[in-house]
Amino acid sequence: MTSPSTTAAPADPSTPTTPSSPTVLARTLRAEWQRLWTVRTTWLFAAAALLGTTAMALLAGHDARGVGQTRPGETVWEGAQIMALLGLFVLLATAAVSTTADHATGGIVPTLQWTPRRAVLLTARTGVVAVTTTVLGVALALLAGVVLHAMAGQLALSVDEGTDTLLAVAYVDASGALLAIGLGLLLRSTAGAVVAALALMLVLPLLLGNFPFAWAQQVADVLPGTSAIQLVVGEGPAGHSTADARMILAGWALAALALGWARLLRSDADR
Amino acid sequence: MITVSHLTKDYGAVRAVDDLSFTVEPGKVTGFLGPNGAGKSTTLRMVLGLDRPTSGEALVAGRRCAGLAAPLHVVGALLDADAMHPGRTGRGHLRVAATTHGLPRRRVDEVLDRVGLAAAGQRRIKGYSLGMRQRLGIAAALLGDPEVLVFDEPVNGLDVDGVRWIRDLLRGFADEGRTVLVSSHLMSEMQLVADQVVVIGRGRLVADVSVAEMLRGLGGARVRVRTPDPDRLSVALAADADDVTRSGPDELEVTGLAAPAVGDRAHALGIAVHHLSDVEQSLERAYVQLTEGAAEYAGRTTTITATAGAAS
Repeated sequence: MTSPSTTAAPADPSTPTTPSSPTVLARTLRAEWQRLWTVRTTWLFAAAALLGTTAMALLAGHDARGVGQTRPGETVWEGAQIMALLGLFVLLATAAVSTTADHATGGIVPTLQWTPRRAVLLTARTGVVAVTTTVLGVALALLAGVVLHAMAGQLALSVDEGTDTLLAVAYVDASGALLAIGLGLLLRSTAGAVVAALALMLVLPLLLGNFPFAWAQQVADVLPGTSAIQLVVGEGPAGHSTADARMILAGWALAALALGWARLLRSDADR
Repeated sequence: MITVSHLTKDYGAVRAVDDLSFTVEPGKVTGFLGPNGAGKSTTLRMVLGLDRPTSGEALVAGRRCAGLAAPLHVVGALLDADAMHPGRTGRGHLRVAATTHGLPRRRVDEVLDRVGLAAAGQRRIKGYSLGMRQRLGIAAALLGDPEVLVFDEPVNGLDVDGVRWIRDLLRGFADEGRTVLVSSHLMSEMQLVADQVVVIGRGRLVADVSVAEMLRGLGGARVRVRTPDPDRLSVALAADADDVTRSGPDELEVTGLAAPAVGDRAHALGIAVHHLSDVEQSLERAYVQLTEGAAEYAGRTTTITATAGAAS
């Protein structure tokens, strides 16, 4: 440490003291982007998703090329869809941790001192985290498709099917991110938010779907994980259209987000 | 200026802050004092818009903090030095703050330099000592060059140089005409730096006075005298002094008589005096008198008596 100074060091006098609301939002968006990428956790999650997806695509492509277990007309996107769903869970954790880190570390105190307008903070945080994880998810699905095609040339790189797949992945990843952000804001606990998100998206749909009770199957059919699988892979409950799946997933995401926002808007910063 | 009006905060059935009103004037260092659990931190959190009052309001420069567009230009605050993401670097932490206000990067370097952390800015906060975290929190508070400063226990974890630096910093801000509110449990420190004190106990206002008034409220100057014949001296002084109390086996504390008068009286009676001095008026003593019975959480001191010897 160097010797501190007690002499005045005024801020830039040209700085406006009462910026407009759009300016405040733009600055907060930039600050949230910095918050996201100035901690190692985000980089580790992104690296894990990248390495995992690449490794899975290499293995799947190697198997397809070596054994020749492909159907006529099969494209790379069937494999990419499975990898996108697996990558979704890493992205869910990224979104949840990015939201709960402030509460877990006490960082919410300076955060709200610098951005006391909570609706602005929530808008910026939700936007930055959701867009980032969605873009990452789509990029990883695209990467999986390209790697699969490079490894097994007989798997077609269909543009139409690829567009449909990537749009579905974008919808599912965005909804999943909003769900995780909402749970993070609501529970204010990293472990709690990650466990709840994974339970709703993976564990409960699988578990309840295998129970020998009609009610369990009915509950599983309306869980967000079931809808995510239907939208990406195309396998959903009988009688559920794609529009139904979109509605269910969006409903869960918006409900969790509304509850999470309400908690920060209405309650004390970190109690 | 900070204006707190009828501020009340309930946590369920517990009332942490109870109809609290006071004003913190610019140009002064105002100490915010109270026992543990008195509601100091809760009050500061409500002033800064972090916690919502059950009723009443707190205004900083005439506005509610929760609605400020660029709060760092109005109020800089350090509440909890540990409330930062430990994985971020010190410079990264300040850059986020600067970005929220559109401040240039050079301003981050300026405040890092000002608090003595220029060389440690690239290190992650988890490697910082408590004193370094305090300095980083103070740097964030100074970033927007605000008119109002609020510090909660700012000297915690600081070394002697750091404490003197904080003292000079607070004094300097007050002398520039800014509003400075500082909570601390270090009475000696408050006595050195504060012009005004706001004392609370059990969430209620106990005193809002200048330090000089608080010291005067102790009941006048006192003199301590040690003598091998305290009983005879006590009787001799009782007629002219306001009060004479036995403060030790061979010691008296005299209120209402100056030290020379006490010495002269003893000399006239031929009573030996082994020690004679003015008792220093301390903010700590005044504070203890004011807050007696107002502590929410108080420990007990167990007196070791002869029973310990009897047990052996």
